This record gives sequence, C-alpha cells and structure tokens, in this order.
Amino acid sequence: MEISDELKEIDENLINQLDQIANDKAEYWDIRAEVNNGTSLDFTNQKSKEISSFEIINCGIRAFKNGGWGFSVLKDLKRESIKIGLQKAIKLAILSESLTKIKFKIDQNNSLIQNYESNRKKNLEDIDIDYKINLVKNHEKIASDYSSYVKNTHTLYMDGHSQTLFLNSFGSNIIQDLSFLRLFCMVFTNKNGATQSSVNSVAGIGGYEIAETEKAVNLSKKTAQEAVELLNAKSPVGGKLTVIADSKLTGTIIHEAFGHSCEADLVLNNESILAGMIGKKVASEKVTIIDNPSMGQSKRFNLPYELFGSYFVDDEGIPSQKTIIIENGVLKNYLHNLETSSRMNVPPNGHGRASVSSERPQVRMGFTYLEPKDWSLEEIIEDTKDGILCEDFQYGYTDPTTGNFQFKCRISFKIKDGERKEIMRDVSLSGMILEALNKISAIGNEKTFNYSVGMCGKGGQHVRVCDGAPYIRIEDVTVGGLN
Amino acid sequence: MDNSDIHSLAEFCLKLIETESPEIKCSDIFFEKSNYINIEIEENSIKNSETGEDNGFSIRVINKNGSLGFAYSNKLDKTTIGKICRVAIKMMKVATPDPDFKNLPGSFKNYPVVRGLFDNNLKYLQIEDSLNYVNDLIKICKEDEMAISQSGNFASSYSKTYIFNSNGLNVSRKETSCLISSNIIVKDKVSKETSSGYERQIERSLSRLNAINVANLALEDAKGNLNRKKIKNMNVPVILTPKGVISLILRPVAAAINAETFQYKRSFLVDKRGEKIGSEFLNIEDNGLIHNAAGSQIFDDEGVPCKNKKILENGNLLKTGLLHNSYTAGKEGVESTGNASRSSYISIPSIGITNFIMKPGDINFEEIIKDTKKGIILNYTGDSPNISTGDFSGLILHGNLIKDGEVEESLNETMIGINLIDLFQNIDAVSKEYRVYGAFQAPWVRIKSVSVIGGAN
Repeated sequence: MEISDELKEIDENLINQLDQIANDKAEYWDIRAEVNNGTSLDFTNQKSKEISSFEIINCGIRAFKNGGWGFSVLKDLKRESIKIGLQKAIKLAILSESLTKIKFKIDQNNSLIQNYESNRKKNLEDIDIDYKINLVKNHEKIASDYSSYVKNTHTLYMDGHSQTLFLNSFGSNIIQDLSFLRLFCMVFTNKNGATQSSVNSVAGIGGYEIAETEKAVNLSKKTAQEAVELLNAKSPVGGKLTVIADSKLTGTIIHEAFGHSCEADLVLNNESILAGMIGKKVASEKVTIIDNPSMGQSKRFNLPYELFGSYFVDDEGIPSQKTIIIENGVLKNYLHNLETSSRMNVPPNGHGRASVSSERPQVRMGFTYLEPKDWSLEEIIEDTKDGILCEDFQYGYTDPTTGNFQFKCRISFKIKDGERKEIMRDVSLSGMILEALNKISAIGNEKTFNYSVGMCGKGGQHVRVCDGAPYIRIEDVTVGGLN
Repeated sequence: MDNSDIHSLAEFCLKLIETESPEIKCSDIFFEKSNYINIEIEENSIKNSETGEDNGFSIRVINKNGSLGFAYSNKLDKTTIGKICRVAIKMMKVATPDPDFKNLPGSFKNYPVVRGLFDNNLKYLQIEDSLNYVNDLIKICKEDEMAISQSGNFASSYSKTYIFNSNGLNVSRKETSCLISSNIIVKDKVSKETSSGYERQIERSLSRLNAINVANLALEDAKGNLNRKKIKNMNVPVILTPKGVISLILRPVAAAINAETFQYKRSFLVDKRGEKIGSEFLNIEDNGLIHNAAGSQIFDDEGVPCKNKKILENGNLLKTGLLHNSYTAGKEGVESTGNASRSSYISIPSIGITNFIMKPGDINFEEIIKDTKKGIILNYTGDSPNISTGDFSGLILHGNLIKDGEVEESLNETMIGINLIDLFQNIDAVSKEYRVYGAFQAPWVRIKSVSVIGGAN
C-alpha cells in the first residue's frame, strides 16, 4: 500500500510531541486524518449534468476528560496545525468536563498497529474517465430505449478512494485504505398523465469490477422495467392485512425500525424502546438479528467485492466484528462505541463510525440482518389466504421513543387464496416495531436471503450501510393508501 | 488566506483556464471559508464542545457546446489549484454537449441592501460565551417533572464567500448564523409511556436566539403526544400546525416550482402555471430580502442579486412562479430569479429557496380549532408527498383528535391520504399567527376534509 504524502507528515516524532501536549491534561485523545479523492458522473436524460472530480483532506482531533469531550476540526495536515488542533481539543474537553453532570472514564483498550487495504481487482484510478462515462451513457440509453413510456432517466456513478490514519492515546496507529463504487439509477415513466418511478443501486467496497457484475450491468433495465410495470398498478385500500415483505423491505424495517433502537447512545439518552430490555424477549423466538460489518460477508452472496457497509476498523480503532443483537427472540446486545461501552461496562463492538474524519463518531450500524429460517417464498404465498406482498421500499422512518414505524413500499401485489394477483403502488405499512416482531408468522430460507445497500443518516452524518433479510410474513399490519 | 490572496488566485485560475482551453465559453470560481462552534447536549448534559474550520473552492468550466466540467478541493496551494483547473477542463471534455446552457451571469451594477445577515458578535464568538444558551435548555428540561432527557445543540458559524466568473462578475459576502435545537423526551408517570418533542430556532444574530422558548416548545410538543389512542377511519377537517404546513404545503410547493424539476416534468404542477390550483387562502412567496432572516441573501450562489417573488396568489400559480438559476433561466429564455444554491463549495449550483413564506390569514388559530366540531390536528409526519404525482399518504407522528372545538387525545397509528391539489383546494382557514423555522414561515391552516385511516379498525 502506498501511503499518501500528506499522511506521511504524521510520523513518530510528531506523535511523541502530541503525547507530550496531552500528557496529563487529557485522559484520552484520538486523531483521524483522511485523504479522499473521487469522481462523480451525473447524467439525466442521456446528458451529463455533473462530471466532477475532487481531492479533499479532512482531519478531526478529539480529546476527552472525565465525561467531557472536545473536538477540533482542521482542513490541513501540517504538523503545526495538528499540534494546535490537539491543544484546542484538550481545552474544549476541559470546558465540557467543567459543565457535564455525567462523569465517566474511557476504558483502556489494546492498542492496534496495523495497515489495512481493501481488495480491488481493477484500480479505480487506472480506469480512464471516458470508459466510466461510456458506462453511464450506456445505462442511460438502455433505460431510455426500454419503453416509450420512459420520460426521464437519471444515472449517477460515484467512485472514491480514501486513506484514513487513526492515532489514539492507547498507542493505536492504523491506516485504513478503502475504495468504493456506487451506481445509482432512477427512471420516471408516464402514461395518461400519471407518473411513476423506480430506483435501484449497486454499491460496494472494491474496484471497478463492482460496475461489471451482472447486477450492475442489469441495473438500468431492471429499474426501467419496474417503473413501466408500476404504470398499471392500483392504489391499495387501507386496513389491517397480512403482509409478506421481500428481503429489501424486511432488511430496511430491521435497520430503521429496530436497529436504531439498539444503538447504545440512543439507549443512554432514553430515546430507545429497548432501554433496560437486555435478556428479555422482545420478538418471536424465530427471530435472530445480527450486525456484522467485518470483511468477507459478501461471500454469502457470491459477490466479487466487499459489502458496502463493511470496514476493517471503526472510526475509534476497534476492529469490526459479529454482534448478536437478538437470539431466538431475546435481546442480547446493543451496538457500542467507546463511550457507551465504557459507560455500560461491556467491551466495545466496533460501531463508532463517522461519515468523514471532520465529524465525530456516533454509534452506527454496519451490516444488519435477520437470519433466514425454513420457508420457501412459494410456501409463504401458498399459505396466505388474504394479504399483500410488498417488494422494495421508497422510504421509511421510525419514532425511536415509541417504536411507531411507517414504510412506503415500491411494488406490491395482492395475495388472494395463495396466489399472487394484481400489482399495487404506494402501499404504506405502519405499526409498532415490537408488536410487529412478535407477529412474524413465517421466515424465509437461505434462498430468499438477500441484502441491500444504502446511506444511513443520523445526526447529520451519512454512513455506508447494508442490511439483509429473507422474505418474511407479518400478521395484522396497518396498511394505508390513497383510497 | 486573506482577500488579496483569493483575488490573485481567482485571476490565476481564470487566466489558466483561458490559456489551457481555447474552446471555453465561460467559467466560474467559488471560494468559501468558514468556521464554526458547536456544543452538544446529550442526556440533558453538555457532552461535547467543538470548533472547526473549512476553506475550499470549486471550479466550473463550460465550453462553446455547453459541455460542463467541475472540480473542487480544500487544498488551497497554487499547485493544487492549477491541477484542479486542469481536472475541470478534462471533465468538460468528456461531458456531453448541452445547447440549453446559455451563459453564466454577467456582472451586476446594483445589489439589494439586506440588513442583519452578519453579526460581529458571532464572528468573534468564543465558545465560553455561548454556554448560557445551552444552560437555559438544560434548566427547562431539568425542572420539568415529566421530562426525562434532552438532546440538542447550540451552533454558530461565520462564512465568507467569493464568486468570480469569466464574464467579469466579482462579488463577495460575509454572513453569520446561529442555531438552537432541543429534542426533549417525556414520560407519563402513570402509563409509563414515553414521547419526544422537537423544536429549533435559526437566526443571523445571537441576540435573537431564545433558548428558553425553544426548550418550552419542545416540551409542550412532547407532552402533547403522550397516551396515544387508535381511532377509526373517518373523513374530517385536518388542521395543520406550522410544522405540518411546512411538510405538506411549503416543502412540496418549493420542490414542485424548482425550475429544474419543472423542466424535467417531474413536478405535479407542470402545465398548471396560470391556473387556480388552490383556494383563495393559498398565498406563497419566496423573499430573499427580509432583514435578519435566515434565508435572506444579497446574491445567490452564482452571484445573481436576490429578490422577492410571488409564487401563488389567491390560489393561482403565477406564470412567473418558478425558481431559477442561470441554467434553467437560460433554457426558458428568462432572467435568473437569484435562486442558485450550493450546499457548499463542493456542489454545482442547483436551485433553492430563500425565505419561503405562506402568507398569514386574519383569524386566530384558537378560533380555527374552536370552530372545528370533529377533526384532527396534524403537527408532524415523517412522510413527504410524491412530487411528481402530488399524492400524499403518510403516518401522523404527532397529532391529536379535536372534539367540539377542543384539542383532545393524541393519535396512534393514524394515517392520512390526499392529493396535494385537493389539499390546496380544500384550505378553508388560515391563521394570523405564524412561526418561522429557518427559511420557512408558516401559519396554521385548516383543510376542509381529509380521509383519515385509523389503527382501530
């Protein structure tokens, strides 16, 4: 791995000086310094809207004293700036400490000295810009030519390469070098004045090979096909229904409606319905939920690259690892960063993540999934008398203090007497998450298990995430629509 | 980096671009430097204090065929700047031609005068001086019997922006802003049910912030949502609070009259210009010239002077009621409305609102509630309407039942569904009171009849 010149500035000599600055003034400090570059190709209706390239440096310096945090953000990696930045962060930590009512210590962790580099078969920097442009143009053309009902196409290609140095007062010195690629496709169709749309994306940690997988190659066609199919979809009739949810929708529900409540910062702030519930039964005993952002998870889906939500270490230098959240219906663990694990007297589990080095790490998910069981999709449908099959989602949200959730599905089908019937659009589902987890009446098998990618927002920061699930069936869900 | 450095760097860029690429039609350079303070509350206690800075620039180049290249960096040395100019040109060369790109703006003789966008107290604010605001938030939560926790923050920022283009435009502005937010969690002692309420205030000057008021409103909001009940399906009037008006009227209209959305025909208001799309109570304008207001600006992010534009008058969508930047304006053959907007130097100008205002009416909001025999008050929903169809169906996250003119129990698992055009046509009352949330100003609004889907069926 070639370390960028800017990061080389931060050497042993500087680290010794930083140690001296912090000395006995800060109980803990860490520095993240990051060099980023990338490309963004944004096309609409086969025309380029934004063809851009960037080179950005970010640096965030954190200091901690007895419950108080100080954070100083700078935009260059000069030795003098870093030293001043640490002094500022310490001053701010002392200020926070003088005011905070919640006193605690950060538990000492083993130091880690390691360089990590994500695998990439085709270096993003080695692929000519014309080649990337042609890829996007081709997707735009496929989508536009798919049907005369297609009125608008939008394709976004983004790639990036980041090299992040992490140092802390425990002696960790880690470089994480990741490259990622994301291809996003959106198609609008129109028939007799009514507009429909569909969106899909492919993303992962790796090189240009991500854009050449079968799923990526078929992205625009799949999206156009869905947007055309939706033109014939009807709006649903509201009421209480049995819902069969596909892996994309289920994964999103697991992430949004349940996963956030497992984030220990929300638990400590009394914002989670799962406060005080460790060891208690919170879901049907069929339910096992895991978060595992470590590298290698993509093998389960036969991908030639790593999952988009994966990382080697989190933004506090803790290695990514498998955490069991629910096992057979019983809540086992929350997700933690350094602060929450220290305060709750458990080991950290590698979920302190920040969108960039100029932001503070929060407790965030990585790859959150519901373990599959034994139903095939056909069996679930055959076994359902009256219900609705929902695939994919448009958006969803949850009130974490109550667990009240709402998801808008993209494509749905009516299920009548064990058979898939007419297509429906804009079906929205709502309920209380803990009730819903107890009303799961079927969980699909490994064959129905799949994953999806996204950028998850919390406190103004967006981080790469994945979720996964099989098809599931939930009883008595409130379904709303326009009729 | 001081002013003269930035001017000479800009000159260097513009010259370099001209020499490197003879096919250039126009180019612009956007510099931004900023610094900020942020203090965060978690668990109703100060948790984190933060200061930071950002300096960066972006370069946009367009050739005679309208192909556009863009590049940015926050490394402000001459070598990087030269490199970024060349990268932008490289991007331009691979971009597709776009005959709709007419030109970047030229220079302007006059800019409006808008007072109160810059506060010296904020520029030189020390973090210690902002602690009072945070302590006020903490005090309100601590002293309330039902409040169990609060998260929130105080933030302030100072920024200076410079825009240069090859048509001779050369402008700069400085601005400040500050913000207080509060999210309070309450718990009912008897039912043990919890609920949260959120409130925030954004201002240009420090003296206008009122932390006690923000925390009290968040608290009121949280308490109003306890002991939620499921209701049956019904067709009733729905009163939108100012937050509800922002989600169901102002944000959707702002998105739908964005000229870019409009030109791509992704707006439910396409073909509706010059038509009556709402009741006479629907009056909306986008006004960038209000003194002291969070959304005000002297010029937009392409250097075009901001102004006041009527969008909807007595329910009529005006023919001139679109928001433009220089690209969409050129495409339509009109003047830019001064609504070019960048999230920061890292983005190409898109289109954004300045201060987006729904005009107040002439009755008290209490009277509107009193006048409603049976209905629902909607404070917020996490859903947003589909802008291309205008369809809305969503969950009421905070709402209450109204019985005989009184606000009664809060709602659980209650959804509403309506098309926005129906919603606009059915507005039958607008309050004279209004609230300002950042760039939005909204009154209380009643919709005559909405289909409500309850969880109790």
